[in-house]
Amino acid sequence: MTKSPEILQKLVRVRMAQLIINEMYKQGAFKVPIHLALGHEAIAVALGTVVESNDQLILNHRNIHYNLAKVHSIKSEIDEYLLKKEGLAGGELGSMNFINEPQGIMYSSSILGNNLAVAAGFGAAKSIKKDGGVVFVVTGDGAMEEGTFWESMVFEKSNELPVIVIVENNQWSLGTKIEERRCPIDLPKMVSSLDIPYLLLSSNDTYEYIEKITALKKQVLDQKTPACIEVPLTTLGWWRQNTPEFPEGKFINYHAGPSPSVKEQEDPYLDHSSEDPLFVMEKYFDAKMIRSMASDALSAFKKELV
Amino acid sequence: MKYVEYINDLVKKKVFEPEHILLFGQNIAAGSCISGFTRGLKVKPGSRIINTPNCESTLCGVGFGSMMNGVPAIFFMKQQDFLLLGIDQLVNTYNIIRRKAPKSSFTIMPVIVDSGYEGPQSALNNFADFCSIARIPGYTITNKIDAQEIINKHLIAPGFRIIGISQRLFKTELIDIPYVSMTEDRSIFQYTKGTDVTIACFNLSLPNGLELQRRMATKDIQASLFSVNAAMPVAWDEIIKDVQITKRVIIVDDLKSFNAPWQGCLNALYAKGDMKQHLIVQRSFEGYWCRPHADQLQMDYDKIIADFNFQKALVA
Repeated sequence: MTKSPEILQKLVRVRMAQLIINEMYKQGAFKVPIHLALGHEAIAVALGTVVESNDQLILNHRNIHYNLAKVHSIKSEIDEYLLKKEGLAGGELGSMNFINEPQGIMYSSSILGNNLAVAAGFGAAKSIKKDGGVVFVVTGDGAMEEGTFWESMVFEKSNELPVIVIVENNQWSLGTKIEERRCPIDLPKMVSSLDIPYLLLSSNDTYEYIEKITALKKQVLDQKTPACIEVPLTTLGWWRQNTPEFPEGKFINYHAGPSPSVKEQEDPYLDHSSEDPLFVMEKYFDAKMIRSMASDALSAFKKELV
Repeated sequence: MKYVEYINDLVKKKVFEPEHILLFGQNIAAGSCISGFTRGLKVKPGSRIINTPNCESTLCGVGFGSMMNGVPAIFFMKQQDFLLLGIDQLVNTYNIIRRKAPKSSFTIMPVIVDSGYEGPQSALNNFADFCSIARIPGYTITNKIDAQEIINKHLIAPGFRIIGISQRLFKTELIDIPYVSMTEDRSIFQYTKGTDVTIACFNLSLPNGLELQRRMATKDIQASLFSVNAAMPVAWDEIIKDVQITKRVIIVDDLKSFNAPWQGCLNALYAKGDMKQHLIVQRSFEGYWCRPHADQLQMDYDKIIADFNFQKALVA
């Protein structure tokens, strides 16, 4: 089946925009903490494609990719990070609380789990106004440890609210991996105990994600139920730091801040494996085409920022 | 009529006004309906009354989410102590919301357990702390006139606030007294006007101030009586003007917070330089003050009147 190159183009743009922001970050351009989402592009572009005008997005502190997937210009987002009045929120919100209402991004929270409860409220209001659509709320494997993760889903299920909870599971919370901080959580079992539909998206294939999220959204609206999507992924841009304790190099999964191992380059790939959603696109498109799109996107962004 | 019955009547009328509204909380439409506080609530078709699970942190977020999505919300809460679980939302979500003039509303109406016999973990008479932590507008209700004015003006007005009601006053006869004036924002009410002394009651202490004012009147001491219902009033003008005449102030406060609103009032009065004598009547925190006991502010009215020698010339 033919795949629309427009989706690929969005994916490439989200990646290249982040490479530019990472480079500016390395040069000390930003005072606000920005949480890059290299490697998270597939779910962001899928969601950016699926959401309609009556859907709403409620995000967390790592939200950069969701706005980039929705907009054509990156200047107003970067201006917000630079706290300029020309920024999307007039420089009043910065990165972790980024809001872009015209694009459906209604709220973002830097506090783990905070946005889950707010999304439940958006869903409750939606059920009263009967304006259709779904509330998508993005969280992570760290925030799902908070009590409000469970509480919100109980509230949503009890009241038949159209909310889809998306867990971006990169295995990390600040500097600790899941096995360093807790027992495993069987998310499918957890949500099935509430009779909430569960969807696993693990291929890093944006096209597959679009199809499956579209179907799940229909199920949520038809069956008047919340739903949960788990997206295992890898935050790309990690590096190894040599210390006396770790002469072989300690694995560093940067939480916020720039990735020193990532360079601004025309080649969009950060990994030649299924961990990189851009590389995954080679199953549908020629590598030369992807690289050409990346080169064009980089030039266009640089021109915009001059 | 009882205090709680009157508040219930006012709330019932107000929540039926908007086309869309979300009312929620634990036991608000089941069991005792929070001892009658939320009994018989009705909303227009399409709006919702949700008897919720026990998840206060999430419920605070639900209210903010509903407000941001254009539907006014009210969270009725059996006990203010439980609101501690929602502090993240009260601070962090409100700090986003305050950025723009909101089109919709979110009000939390907790019962302040100021009765005292519920035990050490259910006696958080600290309304001012909740409001102070994120500069949240907050109002307490003590009688007929402030109930009417605060509920009608603030309950579903755009914005966020907390309106606290008193557990201790719940089943008591509603205090129904005439008033002299009230501020535009309903933060301060004046009930009597005198020339000898100004009594300023804070939090839920109006009944104490009222008793003091009555006993003074029997001794021909004319007192101005104020109730400061807002946890964070910004303008003390009415009290300052009154003290310019009386030169004396008695502050009555039944709050348990260390940082109390009357401190701001006293600072303002000192700054104006008209106050010659003042007395602060507040709780004693000696010993294990959290044990179950009658938690009402204890006042020795006769001693206060005697110590505050009204015959003696004021010392500058």
